[in-house]
Amino acid sequence: MGRTAKDSLVKGIIYLATGITLSVLLSIVGFIFVKGISLVNWDFLTRDYNEKVVYAFMESGDVPLSIDEENLNNKQPYDQRYETLLEGPIYVENIGAAISKVSYKNHSTEREQIVISYIEKDSPLNGAIDSTGKAIIIGTDYILQSINGTDFSDMTLEEVSKTISAESGELKIKVVQPGGGIKSNIITTLYMVLLSLIVALPLGIFGAIYLTEYAKPGRLVNAIRFAAECLAGIPSIIFGLFGMAFFVVAMNLQISLISGSLTVAIILLPVIIRSTEEALKTVPMAFREGSLALGATKLQTIFKVVLPCAVPGIATAVLLSIGRVVGESAALLLTAGTVAQIPGTLFSPGSTLTVQAYYVAKEEGNIELACAIGIVIIVIVIVLNILSRITSDKLDVFNKK
Amino acid sequence: MQAIKRKKQKEKIIEGFFLICAFVAVVSVLAITAFVFYNGLKPFISNSYPLWDFLTGVEWRPGSNLYGIFYMIVGSVYATFGAILIGVPVAILTAVYISEMASSRIGKKIRFAVELLAGIPSVLYGVFGLGIVVPYVLNISPMAQGESLLATILVLAIMILPTVVSISETSISAVPKEYREGSYALGASKIQTIFKVVVPAARSGIMTGVILGIGRAIGETMAVMLVCGNPIAGIPTSLFDQIRPLTTNIALEMGYASGVHQELLYSTGVVLFIFIMIINLAVNKLIKAKVGS
Repeated sequence: MGRTAKDSLVKGIIYLATGITLSVLLSIVGFIFVKGISLVNWDFLTRDYNEKVVYAFMESGDVPLSIDEENLNNKQPYDQRYETLLEGPIYVENIGAAISKVSYKNHSTEREQIVISYIEKDSPLNGAIDSTGKAIIIGTDYILQSINGTDFSDMTLEEVSKTISAESGELKIKVVQPGGGIKSNIITTLYMVLLSLIVALPLGIFGAIYLTEYAKPGRLVNAIRFAAECLAGIPSIIFGLFGMAFFVVAMNLQISLISGSLTVAIILLPVIIRSTEEALKTVPMAFREGSLALGATKLQTIFKVVLPCAVPGIATAVLLSIGRVVGESAALLLTAGTVAQIPGTLFSPGSTLTVQAYYVAKEEGNIELACAIGIVIIVIVIVLNILSRITSDKLDVFNKK
Repeated sequence: MQAIKRKKQKEKIIEGFFLICAFVAVVSVLAITAFVFYNGLKPFISNSYPLWDFLTGVEWRPGSNLYGIFYMIVGSVYATFGAILIGVPVAILTAVYISEMASSRIGKKIRFAVELLAGIPSVLYGVFGLGIVVPYVLNISPMAQGESLLATILVLAIMILPTVVSISETSISAVPKEYREGSYALGASKIQTIFKVVVPAARSGIMTGVILGIGRAIGETMAVMLVCGNPIAGIPTSLFDQIRPLTTNIALEMGYASGVHQELLYSTGVVLFIFIMIINLAVNKLIKAKVGS
């Protein structure tokens, strides 16, 4: 084979390899978006994952329907991801709301239920309180299960509407707040990011200051550098094991937000140390010398001259860290748990978005939902990526001046 | 004088504080090692389970007190080796394209794509594997399930791409221009220059990338857990056999294990840890060698 022919062949192989790399990326992102996009909407982002039963108390009213029938029928009350309309809607005046019967079906459950499909502005439902007297919000799509002790299961929609109409005075309604959303996971992720940064950021930044500004080359510095490299190389499941043995068991913090965030803080250390060090190194020596020559102490020089110049670099470190926390799963699985709830205290468990994506894919076999969560994660990752590009460009600009 | 002295003292104290902060990394590494090894070696020291049976057993049945991880070690090694075999050539060629052949505008775009690929959390690779790779493998597999060594290898090969691409690309770009010019001057073609001069010159950097890729593959948990099948026994003999890597063994059962069972999960961690340490030391050696030359 001639040289040119051989060269073109090799070139072809190189193009092919690059094509494979790019198409893999495209197909992963594409797969996740195509599979998950139909589930992503406002309800998905703002609802809890688990359904919640609430008893609502209110005074019955007499609210006439203010929109015409056709308009009422056009309201799309039910969640079309999981529900198909069977009967209705029927407007019930004493609760000022329309109800429908739908069949609910997702990957694991199938049932018929009565849902609220439209609520009048003056409806008594809007003034509902719970047993402790706290105001509660009842929205469309909530499931109606009973009124004043009369259960609705096995009733037709007609019967239900008659039962409700027959009641007056004080009403006690059992409603189920629909689930299937990821609000709790978003909030847990935010908590996790904040807590782990609060711990890791000062440690990492001060550590990096020591390494670049104070340390003289020697054993100690080598040990610290080596340790940081080791930390970067340890797989996250090992961090999880450590977090479990140390924070969860030895320090008795239980599987909780705090155990998870402390474990993740250790994972973040090398990331923060490395990028802060890089940022500090880009600050020209002349800045320090100028400051010292003006009579500033070393500490003043660091905090008033060096650190402010390194802010873009530190911002990059923060962004990288956020990405790391959002992406972390194995360590959190063992230390923060898989409970989809908003952690009430530092010591309650909660699952982040990634852990939840794993959980629904593995335990419930619901790939669509995992992909929907994946879309939220990928959007976060892309935004962080772009932001960190901007901040690191800032650092370069400063350097060129 | 007094004031200056006090100021100096304050500076010293704060310097000490910075040192402590820096030292947290060292303490963490020591604590992680100590805790994992302490818990993991306990069952062998207290003789509650024989080390030999643990290392050579091919069944993991906590119910019947059988804890052998040999088939997991084999699974981990096969999966990692397979991923390297497929992923590394693709990654290196992509790196060559980015740094040697692409215009700077296109190179930048591909680099961004690779960074994005690196930023996707491993769980999502697993979800992709479960949704696309596993059904595909099932189609061609003689077995009744798609979760297999092959599916694991494919997912891991994808996952090591960004690591190997970005590190190889950096080291290929760092090869001095004179090398290329010299090669051209001798009449070599572009492709010859790339493969006979540039890539060999960037060898140690590429090796570092590959070893980091190995580290990532062997330590990967969540993605693998979704596609490997996690059988309770059996050394894999074909690509379509299910495997249970060391990492997933820990993640699957840590949540509810107790007693010897839990300790032996730590022991699984120790074995994994030793693999990782060997890899880390190799990386360190390579980096030092590079600095030396």
